[in-house]
Amino acid sequence: MPVIGFVGLVFVFSILTNGRILNPRNINLMLSQVYVLMIASLGVFMIMTVGGLDFSQGSILGLTSIVFARVSQHSIILGIIAAMIAGALMGAFNGFFHVKFRIASFIVTICTMYLFRGLCEYLTTHGPISASLRVISFDETWLKVLLTTIVITIGFLAIHFTRLGYDLRAIGAGEIAARFSGCRPELTTFLVYTVAGMITGFASFINVIRVGSITGTAGSQLETQILIALVLGGMPIGGGAKARFSNIIFGALTYSVLERSLPMVFPVSATQQLVKGIVFLIVVALTIDRKSLRVIK
Amino acid sequence: MKEVVLRSEKVNKHFGITHAVKDVSLEFYRGEVHGLIGENGSGKSTYCSMLSGIHSISSGRFILEGKELNVKSLVDANMNGISIVVQEMGTLSGLTVAENIFLGREHKFMRGFFKDTAQMNRETQQLLDSYGLNRISASRVIDNYSFEDRKLIEIVKATYFEPLVVTIDETTTALSQKGREELFKIIEHLKETNKTVIFISHDLSEVLAHTDRISVLRDGELVKTVNSDEVDADELKRLMVGRELDNRYYRTDYDGTVSDEVVLSVSNLSVPGEFEDISFDLHRGEILGIGGLSECGMHELGKAIFGGSYDRSGSVSLPQKGLEITSIPEAIKHGIAYTSKDRDNESIVLAINIADNITLPSLDVLAKKRVLNKKELHEFAQSHADRMSVRMTGIKQYVFDLSGGNKQKVVLARWLGRDSDIFVLDSPTRGIDVKVKADIYALMGELKERGKSIIMISEEILELIGMSDRILIMKNGTFNGTFARSAVLTEEDLIAKMV
Amino acid sequence: MNETISKFKRSKYFGYALLFGLALFFWAFFKILSPHNFGTSKLMANYLQTSIQYAVGGCGFYFIVVMGLFDMSIGANIVLSSLVGVLLSRQFGYYGLILGCLLCGTLIGSFNGFLYTRLRIPSMIVTVGLMLVLESVAAYVVKLDPAGFPGKLTDPNILAFNHAPWNYIVAVSAFLLMGFILRFTKLGTYFNAIGSNEFVAKSMGINVEKYKFIGFVLLHFFVGIMALLTVSYGRGMLAVTGMESMGRNFKPLMGTFFGVAFKKYGMPVSAIVIGEFIITLIFNGLVALNVPTTINDFVTGAVLLIIVTLTNRGARGSVVK
Repeated sequence: MPVIGFVGLVFVFSILTNGRILNPRNINLMLSQVYVLMIASLGVFMIMTVGGLDFSQGSILGLTSIVFARVSQHSIILGIIAAMIAGALMGAFNGFFHVKFRIASFIVTICTMYLFRGLCEYLTTHGPISASLRVISFDETWLKVLLTTIVITIGFLAIHFTRLGYDLRAIGAGEIAARFSGCRPELTTFLVYTVAGMITGFASFINVIRVGSITGTAGSQLETQILIALVLGGMPIGGGAKARFSNIIFGALTYSVLERSLPMVFPVSATQQLVKGIVFLIVVALTIDRKSLRVIK
Repeated sequence: MKEVVLRSEKVNKHFGITHAVKDVSLEFYRGEVHGLIGENGSGKSTYCSMLSGIHSISSGRFILEGKELNVKSLVDANMNGISIVVQEMGTLSGLTVAENIFLGREHKFMRGFFKDTAQMNRETQQLLDSYGLNRISASRVIDNYSFEDRKLIEIVKATYFEPLVVTIDETTTALSQKGREELFKIIEHLKETNKTVIFISHDLSEVLAHTDRISVLRDGELVKTVNSDEVDADELKRLMVGRELDNRYYRTDYDGTVSDEVVLSVSNLSVPGEFEDISFDLHRGEILGIGGLSECGMHELGKAIFGGSYDRSGSVSLPQKGLEITSIPEAIKHGIAYTSKDRDNESIVLAINIADNITLPSLDVLAKKRVLNKKELHEFAQSHADRMSVRMTGIKQYVFDLSGGNKQKVVLARWLGRDSDIFVLDSPTRGIDVKVKADIYALMGELKERGKSIIMISEEILELIGMSDRILIMKNGTFNGTFARSAVLTEEDLIAKMV
Repeated sequence: MNETISKFKRSKYFGYALLFGLALFFWAFFKILSPHNFGTSKLMANYLQTSIQYAVGGCGFYFIVVMGLFDMSIGANIVLSSLVGVLLSRQFGYYGLILGCLLCGTLIGSFNGFLYTRLRIPSMIVTVGLMLVLESVAAYVVKLDPAGFPGKLTDPNILAFNHAPWNYIVAVSAFLLMGFILRFTKLGTYFNAIGSNEFVAKSMGINVEKYKFIGFVLLHFFVGIMALLTVSYGRGMLAVTGMESMGRNFKPLMGTFFGVAFKKYGMPVSAIVIGEFIITLIFNGLVALNVPTTINDFVTGAVLLIIVTLTNRGARGSVVK
């Protein structure tokens, strides 16, 4: 289904743009948006599989980008590690409040979206923060493709060949029963948020390569892009058994095609957003699994 | 001459293959308190659920004041003069006492869009006062009141709209002595105002003291209706049971001796509000039955042994391995299996497929250096589903489409797959048809043969007598009696310790 | 004696004492640290003027939050309704402004409610999509504005709601309306009942879908009123896209959480109003301390998180997604 959606979308926009979206330069531009989105989607995919949501990923990206930029002045490798640690801490913060105090994940992450964004803005009060100039030398397509492939492959292997995938789906499908089957829902959920933050911390490296210096709004709206991308990729809103790894790949690709092609077809930005909103609503309405949501809140 | 206000004519209820209520014909007089008693599963609650529109009637009819009653919901029943207080419903938080009582029936106080809250509060207060509950204030948010007061408010709610018949189902177990006295005052008040009260309770002395007549149900059938002042508790017990043991499916041996080897030791186990200071040993190859009324704490006990309770104190240990069980993953790792009474929520993940359900507890053993092999998992699930002969389209089928019996087979298949040594089976045959029941009993016998140990928690007395080497009876959160396996053990013996 | 104390502790007077105590505490705290730039009577009036706008939105939000629902499109509605109001005011003056804001707000509410109840998608998800749609519609509405400064309330004769007494009159009317709805209609009872246990509510014969729909309509009617106050206060409104309108969701939401927390004292409306005032005090206190305004989002997040942690925690073992 998501595959058909993706192919259909490419087809439609190829016609609407007279094939312009398929020229190599455009594909390159399209891909430049995919990397960060796809990597960060991996973490949110896991969160959504256990039935949660995360609106703070954009702010985490912004803040980890600052961490990376700062530390990259000394060492790029250390910068990546520091960004991942910072991301993990922020994710753990989310997970802690969600799991420990049993507050709905979307409320916690909306709060932290502001919290982290505020820190991000505060740190850039006196202007954007630049990374070490050496990071520019990493701005190579092959490297970004390679890094993205590595992250996604690790995610794929972990979800398909360890108990992680089984745990996540079981917890999403029925947390109480999963607990009585030997899963550890609380610990797993906490770790999933932590790892999601860490993955986004890694993505900040690629983000900084692309933008060079970090402003207060860096990464903003990534969270909604991820949500829309995953939904377009066929991700069930309530998580559970029907979550597929392919949701990440096709979701991120479909979103990028949409994002890149809409301006070619609709010159007015408001129209682009209108179309995006309507497409999102239609896809959700068509794909949502109402059977597994007993009460729809 | 007493006037009949409500009667039922050959009322029946089927749940799938289970015939829960069989041809019950009963008469209720105006202004009487009518006790309804019987064992767990005797059909008394189901009967009242049909009367009040919670369940549909399979066949037969109720006749209220000469007219056939045809209700489809609780509200419908209320409109027709029937009300019921059941344990599961309860009051709603965040609403005032008055709002709770008049929920869904505000029309009496509506002046167009305007709701006459003051009038509603006044009327509610009068109502409360008339029941002697003047310490409860109508305009206060209900969250301010204790569980017990909320129960009493619920009873007031069930009676305010002048129903002809009020059913009170097993509410007293939730009340303290003071609350019970207030409840009986309310019942007295209803009787004085010429209402009919159907009172369901397990406490026979209570039933005898506060009812005019008593009807006894057994296996869904009406045994007898008697005048309360002409019987005693022993007579009632005899009526409730009075039948030969049906041992077609049960064990045929009466040898309750088991090995001395203790495989599981529970000591001073408590869960606040559920049960207190429970200690016992489970032996190798033993089937230990634990029985009692549904609220006696035994279901939580099973959960606690498996490490599934929050706020547990005391210890559950495996003496041979010299270790304690404190969490579910540990319990599973050391060979403890558990089936819950609440199968759909706790035993099995409904929204994933059979294969995943069977492999889930065994993932740690199936993984080689943490890596799982899809093909191996598939074969594992397939072989254990086949071993239990689960009726399915395939192991990729989702569990929510299966019948109760097949779900239970999936649950048992996963624990057989895990090669567990100790089985904590809570209500293993609840809501399951006869054939699967027989399969489960046979499996239990086989497990015993192989030296596995079983704790069977059950509300079905016959099952306890038929299968257990030893039976522990719980009452109000503690053990109240022990029975060894014996051919002469009767249901009366057990019931006497339960109520 | 003990009984009297415990009775007081559960009464609304205790709730008021708690809220006023909090307000006093924060006022004193910032006043001591910054005696001249904070908390003078003139500034207090300013704080109040700002906070009542949010409180109106917070009141609206309360209707659906008590039912366990959520709405991400409130900010987008404020923007759109304000712009429609401004546009209509060009031709119809006050009538255009007032009706534009209120009607547009309410219409959007019924649209949201309709989509939520018909499509049966979780409210949070469906309103994310609607936010995208509403923001872009707002961008079109601005283009329809013939004035030199689109979206600006340039005419000084149309700024009555910018200042006292009219802004207070509007806000207080909204609060009274809210109090009336909760106390003197069935709606308040039903919203609480649905929030407490949807299944029981249904079995008591309440048409849950219908009341959820009404909840959305009421929410957005109040958002319409908030739009009127906001556009007047700011003398205009900017159309934003790219989900920037989300930022406007959260100040009302904070008040709502106060309302939910103080529900048990039977005083949600007062709690929302005073709660918003407390929050405004905190923000302005920080400004007075010369903390860079870039930290504002941080404070928003932190305050919101503290409020929900104190008021919205789930029981152990409960399933919260």
